[in-house]
Amino acid sequence: MTADAKLSHTAAMILQAVHAGCEYGFSLMERTGLPSGTVYPAMRRLERDGLIRSSWEQQAIADAEQRPPRKYYKLTRAGSAALEVSCKRYPLLAKMLPVEKQPA
Amino acid sequence: MSTWRSRLCQCACLTYVRCASILVPAGSRGEWWKEWKSELWHVREARVPVRGFHWPAERELVEFSLGAFRDAWSVAMQAERRRAPTAGNEGSARRCVLALAVLTLICCGIGLAIPGVRMRVIPLTLPDSAGVMLIQPPQGLAGSQRTLPGRLYRSWKGRRQRLFSEFAFLERAQKTTLTLPASGGSQHAAQVRTAGVSVTFFRVLGWALRFRSPVGEASKGEPRVVLSDLLWRRVAGGDPEIAGRRIRIGGREMVVAGVAPAVTAVALPEDVDAWILTPDEALAGDGPGYVIGRALAAGTGDGWMMTAPRTDGSFADFSCTRIYRTPYQPWDIFLFALFLACVALPATTSLPLGEYRVSSVRLAWSTKVRRWAFLAAKIALLLPLVYMFSLDVAYGIPRMPPAAAGYVQLLTGLSACLLGLRWALGDQRGRCPVCLSRLTHPARVGQPSRSFLAWNGTELICVGGHGLLHVPELETSWFGEQRWLYLDPSWSVLFADAPSMSAGYF
Repeated sequence: MTADAKLSHTAAMILQAVHAGCEYGFSLMERTGLPSGTVYPAMRRLERDGLIRSSWEQQAIADAEQRPPRKYYKLTRAGSAALEVSCKRYPLLAKMLPVEKQPA
Repeated sequence: MSTWRSRLCQCACLTYVRCASILVPAGSRGEWWKEWKSELWHVREARVPVRGFHWPAERELVEFSLGAFRDAWSVAMQAERRRAPTAGNEGSARRCVLALAVLTLICCGIGLAIPGVRMRVIPLTLPDSAGVMLIQPPQGLAGSQRTLPGRLYRSWKGRRQRLFSEFAFLERAQKTTLTLPASGGSQHAAQVRTAGVSVTFFRVLGWALRFRSPVGEASKGEPRVVLSDLLWRRVAGGDPEIAGRRIRIGGREMVVAGVAPAVTAVALPEDVDAWILTPDEALAGDGPGYVIGRALAAGTGDGWMMTAPRTDGSFADFSCTRIYRTPYQPWDIFLFALFLACVALPATTSLPLGEYRVSSVRLAWSTKVRRWAFLAAKIALLLPLVYMFSLDVAYGIPRMPPAAAGYVQLLTGLSACLLGLRWALGDQRGRCPVCLSRLTHPARVGQPSRSFLAWNGTELICVGGHGLLHVPELETSWFGEQRWLYLDPSWSVLFADAPSMSAGYF
């Protein structure tokens, strides 16, 4: 998918949430307020279109914290470009889901 | 208390997700299940308190789990879309076979719903049918009807017999009105053909009456009538309680004694809807009719002549003909139609399937088998479809004479067989021999004015990139039939699905 392709508001919101630091499905739900039945299919579509990519957390990390490993999502370069276009289309997006400041 | 409720909710959530995972294609199901299980664990950790049962949190968890169905459906749809080009290719063959199977089932269903067709499809065989003879004056001696008077039947019946064990008499049929009282005080009237028969008629023929009831047996004082299977279905709607009911035939009230079986192999001289059981005294007049006898020796052949006494004591010749005949069964007619269609087929279409013999490409044996199996499946489904269709057309029309119905079935069967086989071969030629997809994108190639220097015709392509089909416009000595040209792997860049489709085919 090219950066010029128009994303729906939901898709743009999820993309912005990923950009804002939400790395897994449940945090995206928490941040956007969307239900699981919307967030996960949207993430699949975004991954299919190459706007986000997923990777599994290392088992050792999960074992150390005594929990199952999570699947993390990150924005791709094409995703960043698409988000930039979407932010122009939906100006309130960045205000709704501001990017978390990285600790120094 | 609260712990088991919490565990129950947890099990329910996992069950929802597990059920949803069934929708996910097998290849990606494991990862999908792992992600959802992990997310479910994290949501539970974040929402549900460590101790105690918190219903709003559990409800939120259940709602979260239910979202798995939507996600699974979305994954399944994505996989389906990815597979669409391939499925479009291979699926078209499956759809073709499925459509033929559905059509066959529809024709069978229609046929079984029509009594006339059902009688032919499931014929009633009578074990005691040999030796039942129709006795008539020799052909050309007693006019066209070849009937005998009722008193002759009575005369023969009273004599000591060496050739026949029993006689029956069938009067000439007459058209009359049958009235059957229906529920609610209304009446059902129909024009029928009735004939008086001796009480021995059904015994001599070997027919066991259906729905015979004590009421029907007991009404000795009233005339009794036996309905044909077709009339019973048409007028009484197949009512199993018909025996013993009173009906009016030609103004006379009668009691239904039973329903005759649906026998198609019998060649009775009269087409009758209702047989009125008549005492022998009433049949003893000069009324014309037919004498039917059961020969003592069953294997007496299909027809012979005999000399027998007449009522005045003189002797005369009579012809005896077997009443049960099975020369033209629908299956025989269909086989004959199929034979004619096979003979005529080469004159109407070319038989080769478009394979160019001079080709370096050798297909895998499984690909070849699949291709031939597809053709065999089409023909195997086509034949019962044509058979049932021809029966539906020929015997679906009520009151069509058996001979005419036979001709209609022959013509319908021949036409349908010919068209069907033509279609099966044409469809096979129009498909890629590798993936069995329909060839698309027809393109006109060459110029008709250059027929003798270069080929001109139509070129079709397999969207899977397996090859091109060249169909010549004019048949020439060097390009008589259509040819299939396999494309080598260098062409695969032009076809999005070519690498995946070609794997294992060659």
